[in-house]
Amino acid sequence: MNNSSIPLTPETEELLGAVRSADILVGIPSFNNAGTIGHVVRAVGAGLAKYFHGHRAVLVNADGGSTDDTPAIVAHTMVDLEPLFISDRQSTLHRIVTPYHGIPGKGSAFRTIFEVARRLKVKACAVVDSDVRSITPEWMELLLHPIIKEGYDYVAPYYRRHKYDGTITNSIAYPLTRALYGQEVRQPIGGDFGFTGELAQHYLEKHVWESDVARFGIDIWMTTEAITSGAKVCQSFLGAKIHDPKDPAADLSSMLRQVVGALFALMEAHASSWMSVTDSRKVPLFGFQYEVGVEPVNVNVERMVDLFHLGLTDLRDIWARILSEDALDQLSRLREVPIRDFRIPDSLWAKIIYDAALAHHRSVLPQEHLLKALTPLYLGKTASFVLDSQGLTTAEAEHLIEALCRTFEKQKEYLVTRWPQSHDAREVIGAAHARPERSQP
Amino acid sequence: MTSNWEHTLLGPVAALGERVFTILPNVLAMIILLLVGLGVAWGMGHLTERLLRVIGLDRLCDRIGIAAAMLRGGIKSDPSYIIGRITYWLIVIFATTASLGALDVAPINQAAHSLLSYIPHLVTAAVIGIIGYLVSNFVSQAVLIAAVNAGLPPARWIAAGTRWGIQLLTVAMALEQLGIAQHIVVVGFGITWGGLVLAAALALGLGGKDLAKDFLERRLAGHSRSPINEDLRHL
Repeated sequence: MNNSSIPLTPETEELLGAVRSADILVGIPSFNNAGTIGHVVRAVGAGLAKYFHGHRAVLVNADGGSTDDTPAIVAHTMVDLEPLFISDRQSTLHRIVTPYHGIPGKGSAFRTIFEVARRLKVKACAVVDSDVRSITPEWMELLLHPIIKEGYDYVAPYYRRHKYDGTITNSIAYPLTRALYGQEVRQPIGGDFGFTGELAQHYLEKHVWESDVARFGIDIWMTTEAITSGAKVCQSFLGAKIHDPKDPAADLSSMLRQVVGALFALMEAHASSWMSVTDSRKVPLFGFQYEVGVEPVNVNVERMVDLFHLGLTDLRDIWARILSEDALDQLSRLREVPIRDFRIPDSLWAKIIYDAALAHHRSVLPQEHLLKALTPLYLGKTASFVLDSQGLTTAEAEHLIEALCRTFEKQKEYLVTRWPQSHDAREVIGAAHARPERSQP
Repeated sequence: MTSNWEHTLLGPVAALGERVFTILPNVLAMIILLLVGLGVAWGMGHLTERLLRVIGLDRLCDRIGIAAAMLRGGIKSDPSYIIGRITYWLIVIFATTASLGALDVAPINQAAHSLLSYIPHLVTAAVIGIIGYLVSNFVSQAVLIAAVNAGLPPARWIAAGTRWGIQLLTVAMALEQLGIAQHIVVVGFGITWGGLVLAAALALGLGGKDLAKDFLERRLAGHSRSPINEDLRHL
């Protein structure tokens, strides 16, 4: 257990002394989000006033040294409650705008938010991205109500997104998390979450803040830690997710490295949790579901396939050390296939991800090289998904993702039988099959 | 008469015997030093090999591609075994030199002294060579992956150039340590490196000016463009 507190600035300490305690905390990490954060602050303020009047609430902005007016906008944005028919205008929304310490990234910002939550002994927390354009006051109710009223510990978001939006989520994070831990959390790296004060304390006690968790790995880490710690998990339907592109300075291979690196590191840490899981179950979903119009997404399939082919030619030696012979053979056959017929089947993709996880486990390559070498493979799978889902609606494309998830679950034994080195995996699998199947909610 | 004969015949034998008796302790010391040295070399060689296996050197070499490179070069032994053997032979050389010194013969002493004073240079050059080789493999692999992810078709050439550049620098540094044709190495390295930079500058200026222009525009104007597609949101 780590009881040492995270250093905060004297101004923040002073504010914490003035506020002393709170019931609800909403955290917003930011870095140069002057264009969008005002809207986020207004939505949070209105949502708290509308749905949680009478509760002591605090808004915490952990900023990574923005050079625009982001902190000033958070501090001074006014929330006009009159047009929203909100009668309670007495409750004060305390605002704490603070810089964060540590590795620059979203995870480090969250760490500061967790620390403030711990100091104020809050009961419920929510975090929302500072670049979300589609946030409404209802998001506060949807993220916090299950914690305060329904006894849940962790609320993951559930969005309507364009079929080509969130491709790392759809092709890796969701299928792998679901197959490993057996819970169907559709947006495990959504970025907008609700959780208890106790869970925030649990997060703080982990020594992960010098790893990828301090950056884009934070979202998958929070979800996985919540699941493996035995927290009661649910989802809330938040409608559309329309946001600015993620950190413009971050390139694809860095994002992929951080998310997949965090996923694989979590597999190492929680091997005993996922080894015995053989099926998945639905996670309760709150909120009124409706269809929304989503922004069109332009995709350049040809460019993605070209990059895959470049990888197949130049990274073959590296892939040969990561992938099984069979997977590499199947990939090699795609060299001569015309673009319209280019497909990476679900079974091959599941095998590639499991092979990569095993290679990571065995440390066959420096971690950075291994994870970044997956970029052309990921682009190949994304191109394949785009070609498969051409002409399909977002709802229809969702069936393809569901099929991919089932393939990951079906092939999990491939991973489990190759994972352990010190003991016989068959014992683990045998024990898992001997267990009664979990009931569907 | 008898005394003369005795003196003439037995004198050299006595002198030889005296010499032998003088040198015998030195020879014995040499043999003892050599035997002890061989024993220590055998023990240290095995100990080093064991220790390196325990700390997982072979696994590390496998990870960073040294094992594969060695295999490509026809070396089938583990790195731990090779370093163990190197340790053995270094101690053997040291013990042999020390044991020859025990004979106390001036020319041998001088040769042994020269050999001993050269060993640190030899070891430094070997360390430079090994580190240079490791760094060149690691960096060229990183460059290859980055170049492929950036969609640069000559990724393999860029990676190979990086590897050879680092290895060239390593060889130059190692030869300088060994004191072999120091000036020729420095001049040769300068000419080769200068030539490479000039060739790269010409190639970029003539063949890739649009690429350079695009790169500088993005850097200086602060425009960030995804190499794949602007619209696709991965997270």
